[in-house]
Amino acid sequence: MTGTKVLAMLAATALATAGCSSADPASSGPVTVTYWHGYNETGEELQTLRDVVIPAFEKAHPNIKVKQVPFPDEALRQKVLGAAAGGELPCLLRSDIVWVPELAKLGVLEPLDAKLKDFDALAKRTFPGPLETNKYRDKYYGLPLDTNTRVLMYTPAALKAAGLEKAPETFEDVRAAAAKLKGSPVKAFADGGTDGWNLLPWIWSAGGNLLNPELTKASGHLDSPASVAAVQLLVDLRNEGQLPDIMLGGTGGTPTDEGIAKGEYLSTLDGPWTFPIYEKQFPGVTVATSKMPAGPGGSVSVVGGEDIVMTKSCPDKEAGGEFIRYLLSDEAQLEMAKVGQMPVLADLGARLTSIKPYYGIFVEQLKTARPRPPVPQYKKIESLLSQHVSEALKGTVSPKQALTDAARAIDAVLAQD
Amino acid sequence: MSVRDDRTTRRDPLVYLVLVAGLVLTITPFLVMISTSFTDQSLVLELPPKLLPADPTTRNYTDALSSSGFALYFANSAVVAVATVAGVLLLSSMMAFAFARFTFPGKSVLFGALMAALMIPGMILILPQFLVARDLGLIDSRLGLVLFYIGAQLAFITFLLRGFFQSVPKELEEAMELDGAGPWRVYWNLMLPLSRPALATAAIFTFLGAWDEFAWALTIINDPDKRTLPIAIALFQGQYSTSWGLVFAASVIAVVPVIVIFVFFQRHFVSGLRSGALKG
Amino acid sequence: MSVLASEATARPAPVPVRGSGPRGPRLSTRLRAARVPYLFLLPGFAVFVLVMAYPMAQAFRISLHEWNILPGAESTFVGIANYLRALEDPVFWKALVNTGVYMLATVPAQLALGMLVALLLNRAIKGRTWFRALYYLPVVTSWVVVSLLFRYLFVTDAGLVNYVLVDILHVTDTRIAWLQNRWTAMVAICALGIWKGVGWSMIIFLAALQNVPKELTEAAELDGASPTRRFFSVVLPMLRAAVAFVTIMLVIGGFNAFTSIYLMTGGGPGNDTQVLLTYMYEQAFDFLDFGYGSSIAYILTLIVFALSVVQFRVFRYSEED
Repeated sequence: MTGTKVLAMLAATALATAGCSSADPASSGPVTVTYWHGYNETGEELQTLRDVVIPAFEKAHPNIKVKQVPFPDEALRQKVLGAAAGGELPCLLRSDIVWVPELAKLGVLEPLDAKLKDFDALAKRTFPGPLETNKYRDKYYGLPLDTNTRVLMYTPAALKAAGLEKAPETFEDVRAAAAKLKGSPVKAFADGGTDGWNLLPWIWSAGGNLLNPELTKASGHLDSPASVAAVQLLVDLRNEGQLPDIMLGGTGGTPTDEGIAKGEYLSTLDGPWTFPIYEKQFPGVTVATSKMPAGPGGSVSVVGGEDIVMTKSCPDKEAGGEFIRYLLSDEAQLEMAKVGQMPVLADLGARLTSIKPYYGIFVEQLKTARPRPPVPQYKKIESLLSQHVSEALKGTVSPKQALTDAARAIDAVLAQD
Repeated sequence: MSVRDDRTTRRDPLVYLVLVAGLVLTITPFLVMISTSFTDQSLVLELPPKLLPADPTTRNYTDALSSSGFALYFANSAVVAVATVAGVLLLSSMMAFAFARFTFPGKSVLFGALMAALMIPGMILILPQFLVARDLGLIDSRLGLVLFYIGAQLAFITFLLRGFFQSVPKELEEAMELDGAGPWRVYWNLMLPLSRPALATAAIFTFLGAWDEFAWALTIINDPDKRTLPIAIALFQGQYSTSWGLVFAASVIAVVPVIVIFVFFQRHFVSGLRSGALKG
Repeated sequence: MSVLASEATARPAPVPVRGSGPRGPRLSTRLRAARVPYLFLLPGFAVFVLVMAYPMAQAFRISLHEWNILPGAESTFVGIANYLRALEDPVFWKALVNTGVYMLATVPAQLALGMLVALLLNRAIKGRTWFRALYYLPVVTSWVVVSLLFRYLFVTDAGLVNYVLVDILHVTDTRIAWLQNRWTAMVAICALGIWKGVGWSMIIFLAALQNVPKELTEAAELDGASPTRRFFSVVLPMLRAAVAFVTIMLVIGGFNAFTSIYLMTGGGPGNDTQVLLTYMYEQAFDFLDFGYGSSIAYILTLIVFALSVVQFRVFRYSEED
C-alpha cells in the first residue's frame, strides 16, 4: 500500500532529523562577538563589512572573532523583539536610531557611557544630532554608527522646464515654484508619507517642534503657530495640486525617485542612498541637491541612520567594546563610506568628500539636523501625528485643529509612561 | 456539469475554453514574475509592462544561486518540510481516526480546543512559543522548526482527515474486526490505505506550510547555516531598494520543489475506494 | 459514501472477540477499549499542548495585562480593559469592517471558482495533471512574493492592471490609483485573495470528488437530468461535508489575512485598509503593546469561533452527526 509506505518513509526521515539539532561545540580560545544587522545580502555594504572591516579588526585583535549575522531589514525589528523577550540577544546590534530608547527602556541595553572608558572621546567626534538618538533618561545607550539626513533633490532639467533659476531655498521659494507650476502636470514637491521623517523638517524649519525639550508633552509645541504654519504650507501645496497623493502614505503611486527622474515631481527630500538607485535605475539622469528650504527656524532637516548598541546579554563586553571602537575608527568609517554608508564622524572633511562628493551637502545639512525625539513611545507618537496631518491634507480638518488634536493624543501617550 | 470522468466528455471544447480562460488569469501574474526574473534590474518598472523581456538575462538566477548559502538554505527547507510532513501525517491521522471512529468523554472539548487553535492568529503566539522553545533548548535548531510546524498544522490536518475517515464505510472495518483485527490494525491497514487522496492532500498542504513559513524561522533561528529559504529570499530585499529580479528569480526557484511534490502526490488522487476496495 | 460525508454514526470501539483478561473478560476489555481513543490522541495532543495550547493560554494571560515583554519583568494586571479599549477604538472597528468585507468578497468566490475548476478537472481530459498543477501554482507561491507581485501589478502608472484597462481594453481613460483609496485598494487585496485561494479549494474538492460514486451520476444522467441539475441534486449533496470544511477554513483564513495587506498597502493610506491582523501586528510589534494586540487576537478568535459554530449547524456537520 503506497500511502502507508510513504508515511513510514517520512516517519523515518523525521527521526533522522531529530538528531540534527546541533549544539555549538564549546570553544576555548578566541572569544566571539556576535553582531546582528540588516544589511542587504547582496549589497556592497555587507561585502565590505565581511571582507574588509571584520578581517582588518580580527587581524589587529587575534583573540577576538566577530560573527556578523545579516537579517532581512524589514524583519530585524521583529527578530530583535523576540530575542529580547527570550533573553537571547546578541552582543552587538546595528539598531535603527528610533529603537534605541525603546530597547533602553526595556532594560536590555548596556549604558555605553558607563561601559566604555573612552566614551566621551568617541562621542565627541560624532555629529551631535545622531549622538542624541542614543540618549534615554540622561544616559547614552549606544553610539552613532552611520548617519544620513534629507536634503532637497531635483533635476536641473525639471528646474529649467519650470522656468526657475534656482532650486527653492526658502518656504517662499517653494510657494513661488508651486505658483509657477500651477496648471502643469508637474508637482512642485513630493514625499511618500506623513511620518515624522517626512513632516519634521518642515515643522522644525518653520520654527515649530513636536515635543517640548524635556520630551514630556506636545501641547504648546506641535500646535504652536510655527508648527501650524509648516503644515499650512503643505496643505496649501496640496490644495493647489502641487503635492501628489503619495504624500498621504498610500502605495502604488509614482515613488519620489522615479517622479524626479521622469520630471513628474520638481523636488523631494531624500538621503544619500538614492544616488546609487538613480544611477542604476535611471542612468543618464542628473540629480542635483540643495539644503532643506529654510523657514523662520532656519534650514533644519531630520537625522536618519543607525546606532551601534551593546546588549546586557553580551558575553564579553570588553571584546564587544573593542569592536565598537573599531567600527567608529576613521579606517572603518571611511571603508564603509566607499560603499555608500555615510560616516558619523564630523571631522573627516575632504577625506570624506574625496570618496563621494555628494556627501558634502549632507555633512553641511547635518550640522543643524535634529533627531526625532528619542522617546520609547516614538512609533506610537508618529502614527498619531501622521493620522492627524493626513486629515488636514485631505481637507477634513484645519491644520490648527489637526495639530491640536494630535498634540492632545500625544500628550496622553507620553503621560502613560 | 458532470463529474463523470469517462470518454463521452473527453473532447468538450467548452470545457477547454473555460479552463484555458481561467488559466490565463491564473498564470499571468507568474508570467510577469518570470519575465521580471529574466530582466536586468534597471528595466524592472517599465511601461508598458512586457511579458517577454526585451533583453533577457539569466544573471538574476546565477546571482541567486551563487549567493552565500542559497543551496544550504534550500536543503534546510527540504529537510524541515519533509520531517514536518512525516510528523503531521502520522500524528494527525491518529487523532483524526480517534475523532472519526470513537465516542469518548471529552471528545467535543478536545475537538473544540483543536478548532480554537486553527482560529487564533499564529503571530500573537510567537512570543509565548519562543519562551517554550527556549525552555526546551530548541532555539537555533531545526528540530525547533519541525516541532512547532507540526504543532501549528496538527489541528488543520486532523480536521481535514477526520472528515475523510468518517466517510470510509463501516462495513470494511467490521469485516476486519470479525477477523480479529484490533483498532491499530484497522487504522494502519485499512484507514490509511483507503484515504490516499486525503493523505496526499494533507501532505501537499503540510509541505507547503513548512516550506513557506517565515515568521517562526526568523524568530528562532540565529545561525545563518540553519536558515530556510523564505529568510534567504527576504535577505534580497534591501533597506532602500529591492532587487526585484533577484527576489523573483529566487522565488521561481523556490516554487519548483513544491510543484514537484504536488505532481508526485496528486497521482494519489485516485480513491482507495474507487480503485476496487469496495468491490474487492 | 461521499468523502467527508457524515452518515457514519460514531460508535464505541469494537470489542475484540478473543480478548479476555484475568478478572473477567467483559469489564477489562471494555476498559481497554475505552482507553483506545485516548491512546490515538496522546502523541498528537502532547505536541499540541506543548506548542499550541500552552502558548494560547499565555497569550490570553497577556491580553489581561499591560504586558512588559521582558521575561521576569512585572506586568500590570488590567482585567478586560484591553478588550473594552478595542470596542471604543474607531480603528479597530474600521479594521473589523474591512476584514468582514474581505471575507464576504473572497470566500464565496473561492468556493464557486474552486468547485468549478475541480469539476472540470475531474474529467478525463488531456493534460489534466498540468492543468491541475498550473491552477495550483498560486497556492504554492509564497504570500510574500505574490503580495509584492500584486502590488507591482496594481501600481498606478506602470502597473499591468491599469495598462490592460486603459491601453488595451480602453475601459477607462484615467489610470485608477488602486492602492491609494480604501475601496479600490480593497478590490486589489480581494483580487489577490481570490486568485491565491482558488487552487486550494480546487484540491480539496478534487479529492472529495473521488468518492462520489459514478453509478449515482450515471443513473441521474439516464433519467435525463441536465448537467446543472445533476450537480445540484446529486453531486453537491455528496460534497456537503467537503463544502462545509472548505467554507469553515476559508472563513478562518479570511479573518487571518495579513501578509497581502501588510505588503500591498501596509494598512494605508491612513488606516483605511487596516484589517484585524495588520492592526494587531501594529499594536504588538510596532507599539510593543502586546496586551492590546493579544486582546485583538482573542476577539478575532471569538468571532471566528462563533461563525464556525453557526456553520457547523448550517451544514449539520458536527462530529456526532
